[in-house]
Formats: sequence, C-alpha cells, structure tokens
Amino acid sequence: MSDGKDIAIEQDESRFSFRKYSWRQFKKNKPALFAMYTLGLLVVIALLAPILANEKPLYAKYKGESLFPAFSFETNYRFTDESTGEEINLQLDIADWKRLELESVWWAPVPWSSTIPDKANRNYVGPSDPQRFVTATGDTLYISPRFKHVLGTTSNGTDVLSAVIHGTRTSLTIGLISMGIASIIGLFLGAVAGYFGDYRSRMRRGQFWFIVLSIPFAWFYGFSVRMFALKDSLEESGMSFLFQLLISILLFATVVTIFNFIGKKIARGKFLSSEIFVPLDSIISRGIEIMNSIPVLILIISLAALTKNESIVYVMVIIGLTSWTGIARFTRAEFLKIRTMDYIKAAEGMGFKEKRIIFRHALINGISPSLVYIAFGIAAAILIEASLSFIGIGVPDDVMTWGKLLNEGRGNFHAWWLILFPGLAIFVTVMVYNLIGEGLRDALDPKLKR
Amino acid sequence: MNYRYILRRILIFIPTMFAISLIAFVISINAPGDPVEAFFEGTKGGKIGTESGSKIEGDKQALRHEMGLDLPVFYVTMTSLAKPDTFYKIGNQGERENLERLIGIYGNWDYIYHWYYSLKWLEKTSGSEVTLDSAVTSDFGEDSIKYVTEHFHHIALSLLLTNDTVEIRSKLNYLWSEYFRLEEKFGDNSFLKHNLTSLNLCSQSFLDMNADPTVWKNYVPSLHFYGYNQYHRWLFGDGNMFTGNGAQYCEGVVRGDFGKSYSTKLPVTDTISKALPWSVFFTLISVILAYIISIPIGVQAAAKRGSWFDRGSSVILFMLYSMPPFLMGIVLLVLLANPDTWNIFPSNGIEPATGIDPNLGWWDKTMIRLPYFILPIICYTYSSLAFLSRTVRVAMLEVNSQDFMRTARAKGLGDRLLYYRHGLSNALFPIITVFANVFPAAIGGSVVLEYLFGIPGMGQEILRAVQAGDFTMITAVFTLAGFMTLIGYLVADVLYSIADPRISFDKT
Repeated sequence: MSDGKDIAIEQDESRFSFRKYSWRQFKKNKPALFAMYTLGLLVVIALLAPILANEKPLYAKYKGESLFPAFSFETNYRFTDESTGEEINLQLDIADWKRLELESVWWAPVPWSSTIPDKANRNYVGPSDPQRFVTATGDTLYISPRFKHVLGTTSNGTDVLSAVIHGTRTSLTIGLISMGIASIIGLFLGAVAGYFGDYRSRMRRGQFWFIVLSIPFAWFYGFSVRMFALKDSLEESGMSFLFQLLISILLFATVVTIFNFIGKKIARGKFLSSEIFVPLDSIISRGIEIMNSIPVLILIISLAALTKNESIVYVMVIIGLTSWTGIARFTRAEFLKIRTMDYIKAAEGMGFKEKRIIFRHALINGISPSLVYIAFGIAAAILIEASLSFIGIGVPDDVMTWGKLLNEGRGNFHAWWLILFPGLAIFVTVMVYNLIGEGLRDALDPKLKR
Repeated sequence: MNYRYILRRILIFIPTMFAISLIAFVISINAPGDPVEAFFEGTKGGKIGTESGSKIEGDKQALRHEMGLDLPVFYVTMTSLAKPDTFYKIGNQGERENLERLIGIYGNWDYIYHWYYSLKWLEKTSGSEVTLDSAVTSDFGEDSIKYVTEHFHHIALSLLLTNDTVEIRSKLNYLWSEYFRLEEKFGDNSFLKHNLTSLNLCSQSFLDMNADPTVWKNYVPSLHFYGYNQYHRWLFGDGNMFTGNGAQYCEGVVRGDFGKSYSTKLPVTDTISKALPWSVFFTLISVILAYIISIPIGVQAAAKRGSWFDRGSSVILFMLYSMPPFLMGIVLLVLLANPDTWNIFPSNGIEPATGIDPNLGWWDKTMIRLPYFILPIICYTYSSLAFLSRTVRVAMLEVNSQDFMRTARAKGLGDRLLYYRHGLSNALFPIITVFANVFPAAIGGSVVLEYLFGIPGMGQEILRAVQAGDFTMITAVFTLAGFMTLIGYLVADVLYSIADPRISFDKT
C-alpha cells in the first residue's frame, strides 16, 4: 500500500515541483550562478587556508627525519639523527624553517604566516619593490622568487596574500555562524508568531499564568545562580562562554518545562481550567519592534567593549543575536499566508500535532523568503565585521581580517596594495552574496520576474 | 488622515521606549570596572599618594552617593535567600563582588558579614593614622613601623578580594606567623595589641564561616522590592519624579540630564550638543542629495525598462550597493587626497589644521570647509543612493503595469506628469523608509566614516567613549539613538498611512 502512495507522490513531483522550478530559474540567472561558483571557490580557500598559506613547510626532511610541521599539533619534536647519533629537539611551532638546512622540503603555496611578521621586510614593502631575505649567516640578499611576498607586506612585515587568505576564513565563518544563529531564532519565532497568531494557541488559564510565573524563576536558576560561572568563562575564552551559556539556557528551559507540567496538573476548577488565547503574535511582534529600535552597530560596539577578552566568537554571537528580526518578520508573513492553505488544513484534519505541522509541513514551504534575507544578511554581517575590525574593535590580535589590513592601508596611502587586495576581497564577497540573494529572490518570486 | 491608527501607534511607542531605556541601563550597570574608581582616577590625578587612606575612602563614599550608586539597582530584584536585601549598601565594587562569591561558596551571610567586618577592622587597625601614632611612641623604629603597617595593611586589603578557602587560610597563617615573630622581637606593644584583637576576630569568623555553611540558601529565590533605586534615579532624577523639584545631583533622563562623562568630567549633554550638529549636517545633506539624484534615475530606469540606460544603471548601482562606504572612502582618499596620485582634496578633518578665523561670515567659512566636505558627502550619499534608486525602480515597475497608469497614458498625459505625479505618488514607500532611517543615523553618525575622515561628530564620540570605557556617554547615545529610531518609525508609519490611507491595525 505504501509503495503505491510513494509512486503517486513521485509522479506528482515529476510534473511540477516548486523547488525544481526555482532551481531552474536560478540557473537561468547567469550572474547569480557565477556568484555561486565564486562562493564555492571562496569556501575552498577558507577551508584550505592553513594549507594554502603557512609559514611552516607541509613536508620537510631534516637530518634524515621526515616531518609534517604544518599538520602537527605538537610543539616539541624529539628525534635522533641517524648519521651522527645526536639527540635533536625541534620546536615545531617557532623553528626558523626558512633558514634550517633541510634536505628536501615542500612549502605551502604561500610560505608565510598571516600573523607572524617577516622582520626583514618591514615598513610596507610593495609587490614590485625589492624584497630582502636574511640568511642564517646574517647576510642580506634579495628574496628568492619562491619566498617573495607576492602582494607585499604591512608595516610590521606581515604577508598580505597570506592575511587575505586567512581573512577569507574569518569573514566566511562570521557570515555563516552569525546568520546561522539569527536564522534559528528568526525562523522559530516567525513560524510560531505566524502560525498561531493571536487566536489559535489556547491554553488553560492556570497553565498560562504558571508559565508566565516560571520566567523569573527560570532566570534565577539559569542565570542569577550561575552568574559567576558565566562571568569567569567570559574571561576565559569565547568557546567556554558559549558552553556555559548553553547550560544556562538548558536550565532555563528545564525550569519552564517543569512549571508548565505543574501548571497543567494544578489547573483545575472553573476559573483556572477555562481556556484562554495566548497572544503569541502580539508578544513576538513587540519583541521584534523593540529589537529593531536598537541601534545595532552601537549595541555591538558597546557590547564588544564590555567583553574584556576580545574574541571573534563574541562578534559572531552578538551579530547573530541582533539580526534575527528580518528573518522573523518574513517568516511570520509567509506563515500567515500558509496557515490558511488547504494542505495545512488537511494536515490538521488528519490530526497531526502542531509541532509536526509547523516544522515538517509549513516550514519547508515558508522558508523561501527568508533564504533571500539570509543571503543579504550574510553580506551585512561580513560588512559589520569588516567595519568593526577596521576601527579596531572586537577582533583580537591573533586573528587576521580584511578590515585590519584596510586600516593599515589607511595609515599609509602610499601602500596601495594594502587597500586594493583586501578591498577587492570584501567587495567580491559582499557582491557574491548580494548576487545570490538577488538570484534567489527572482527565482523564488516569479511575480517579480515577469 | 487615519487618526485612530496614529494614536494607537503613539501609544505603542511608550512601552517600547521603556524597554529600550531598560536595555541601555542594563548595559551601563554591567560596565566593567567600578565607576567611582574610574571617575576618581581622573579628578584627583596624582594627589592620591599624598592623601591619607581614610580621606580617600570618605571622598569615594561621597562620590558614590553623588552618583547614586549607594542605591538598589531596580524596583524589584530576585536574589537568593543567602543574600541580604541591604546588600547593595556595600560600596566598593570589588569587595562586593568578592562577597557575592563568598556567599556563593558558603551561603551563611551572618558569618560572612562578620568576616568582612573583622577584615575591615584589621585593615583599619593595621593601616590607620591612629595606630601609627601610638606605635611611634613605642619601641618600633621608624622604618620597621612603616614596613609592618604597610605589610599588614596590604594583606588585609588583599584578603578583602580573596574568596579561595586555601588562599585565605594561608594568608591568615602568614599574618599570624608575622605577628608572633614581631611579638618575640618587640614584646608588648600597642600596635600589636590592636592587631591581636582584629586578627583574633578574623580567624574566629573565618572558622565560623567554614564550620556552618548553608549553601542551599543560594538556590532558594527571594524577592525584594525597592521604591527609590538607581534606575528610577537615572530616569527621573533625585528630586520630585514629575516636576523635578529638589533635584540635587541629577535631573534624570526624562529631563535631558544624562549625567557626567567618566573621562572628561563634563556633562554628556554638552559633548553631544557639540558633536551632534556635524552628524546631523552630513546625514541631512546626504539624504537630500540621494533623493535628488536617485529618484529620477529610478523612475527613468523603470520607464525605459530594458534600455541601455536601465541595464547600465542597474549594473553600476548594484556594484555601488555591494561596496561598503568605508571602502569607497578609503579608495577615494587614496586616489584624490594622496600626493602620489592626485592631491585634490584634504585627507583629514573638517577645516584647516590652523583653524578658521571666527570672524568670517558663514559663507566664507563654508567655502573654506567645502573641500573637506566633498569626499565625506560622496561616501555618505552613495550607499543610500544605490538602495533608493534600486527600490524606486522596482516600485515604479510595479506601478507602471497597473491600470490607472495605462489610463493616464491613454488620456495623453506627458511623461513628466505621468511618472512623477501619478506613478511616483504610488511608489512612495521606499522613499519614506529611507527618510525614517535619517533620525537614528543623525544621532549615531557613521562611526566608520567619521573615523576615516576625522569628522568630530557623534560617531567619533562613540568610538572615544567605548575606548575610554565611558559608559555614561555610551548609555546616553544608546538611549537617544533608540529614541530617534522609534521616532523614525513613528514618522514613517504616519507617512505611510498618509500615503496609503488603507493602512490600519485591523488589517494586519
């Protein structure tokens, strides 16, 4: 029986599927498709950044021993020289590989680090300027073509090409994670607000007030009690803060769930057990309005100032937590439309639970306008990060970003390579996301096409 | 006009404003560091070393009162049973945090308070002038007195900021061993006698604290209500809530008093009123320019859909749209304000470094400043220009295909009348949206552009405040910007409802 049903669905899809139609429309849009490929290239660069640009060799043979310094997590490496029997202790992380006598070596395509400067080429050495190399014996020579700083260096001698490659990693991660956070919050709240509206979610009065009552208690157990655990982790590192925050949120949810359960049991009697409407839409819409009224850049700057240890994770979390409103609004509007459609009515008629209807049936169809917004949102997040690191806020010293390079260029207009290359990188990335967003909009909204 | 809609819109405005002020306040009370210390550092300068400890403590207490920090934080707080409801009265922020941690570890406030009190006493007896005087008359030599008092005092102070049991124990042991060593050396002595009592008290209370911990109290919530508190004072001042009469130190945000800056010691309002005109100037000029340029572009592109003008302008505007303003700014500076290429415009500031003769008329002043204005205005303008023309084009495309436009064309209207009178008035929404953004942008300025071009506006002030940890300023800007954003939305919604009278709350 089930086989027959599957075949029927398959036939249906082969006739017309909105997803397939949209994808076909998207593919017709040549700039958007090209942007998609460029994005793929950027992702590959970001993923392979440590292999593409690394001051340590990928493979090196030193005194008869084969080493893979770029892939090694250890900092110390001990081995015995076979020919002389000498015990050698090599500091893999700080060894001066370019001046060691290596028997054979494979360098990364860009043999420079994005953070460790090349002292011999300080003070803005351009791509076409003569570049220096100091040998192990202390002689200064012209640099060999293999070690040339192809895109020049910064004031302290950091290789620009390597910084641009590693900056790709930072930018794409920021865009992805911050919009990931924003979409989870935005899709969820938007879906709930749109699906339930003000008059579709009913609850016993006692249960409702118990949940309202639970919020201060949940805050107490989730956050007040754990204040110092959170505060200390904030000073430790970004990741441990995220972990502690997750525990707090789980505790919060647990307390609310317990209160909900008790409320359900307790709500007896005519007054407490009579059902009332929960105005979910009004609550969430007011929340969106408040969130929208907050000047985001000022909020991000002041929050970045609040956290003593600068970490890229905070920037991502803050951007994510402040930019979900657009997604929530679009999803809400879409769900307002969807909830009146026949297939939702059918699903309700079949007695599916609301959770299943929202997340399995409606969300897949309601996600498309948000996709457009997410693409634009990633571009915006990347821009915010670039602006922040351009004015020197929120990004730690050991992370290289495009904005930082631009800020270096601002200090010395003569060094055009510090503006052209990171500027181009920012421009291309933002443009790629904007093009994809446009392409998605045209593909998903056939009305605009005409 | 839809008055009911506008009235309801304004009513919603009030709770939202309240929420924003709350967020700003939460940011300001969570600011790192003790505001009193931050404020004190600057005012007293290098004199701290010469003044005695108790004098400084008294001054700080007065300052704390002046800044309202000796009040509870909010109308209602939910703390644990372990924490007393008068906990806010402990002034020093570092000591308070340490006590909170101790409460978290032991939970028995009575003993913790004894411990705190005896430590305070030890700090006093080991460091105050009184004991120093009485010790001078006894057997100590001048140097060793100084050494001993400073040493004891220093450890007592560090104990006030320690919450680790092992560390406290070792420090107490060290104090006792020092005490015995000195007693052996100098015998009976008034300084030591003083400290014996306080040391005894410390040890005793520490033992008590450890003997009977009630950690469970930390997990029992308790609710406290306060009438007059920091938030209330920040909002309404320390005088009468409604009239503001009798205000001593602050008049409250509702009367436009945001307090004094931590770093410059001047009222924040003064700083803002100096910086704000520049931000407003650049924002306004740029929006007006953006309207003048972009609307014709959008209308023309939509009117001649698919023409070379439409396609060309679309591509260029899209590229502009993807170009962040600060990148554009830096490129312009490198090309046009750089001795290596063309040195046409000055690269920094809003007037020559030598200043402008204040006696000149405004026209002459503007003419001198004009070259400084051009590059920033381009950068301010083009991003909203790109957005505006693109949205106007889309809106006009929508409108142009509607029946009333066909009718208007059929009755022989000229292009100008057709598109600008009939078409544009039905595509007003994006124009209004951009106008709504002017309000918050004028307050916040553009941090990045002002940083890049050295414009002394609000953006630069925000950046300075953040770097100096000046949270009065940050809170003020945050509140004002939130307020202006809301005003912007309000104005936009009212304009929307004028542009399209069908808009109302009932439809949504």
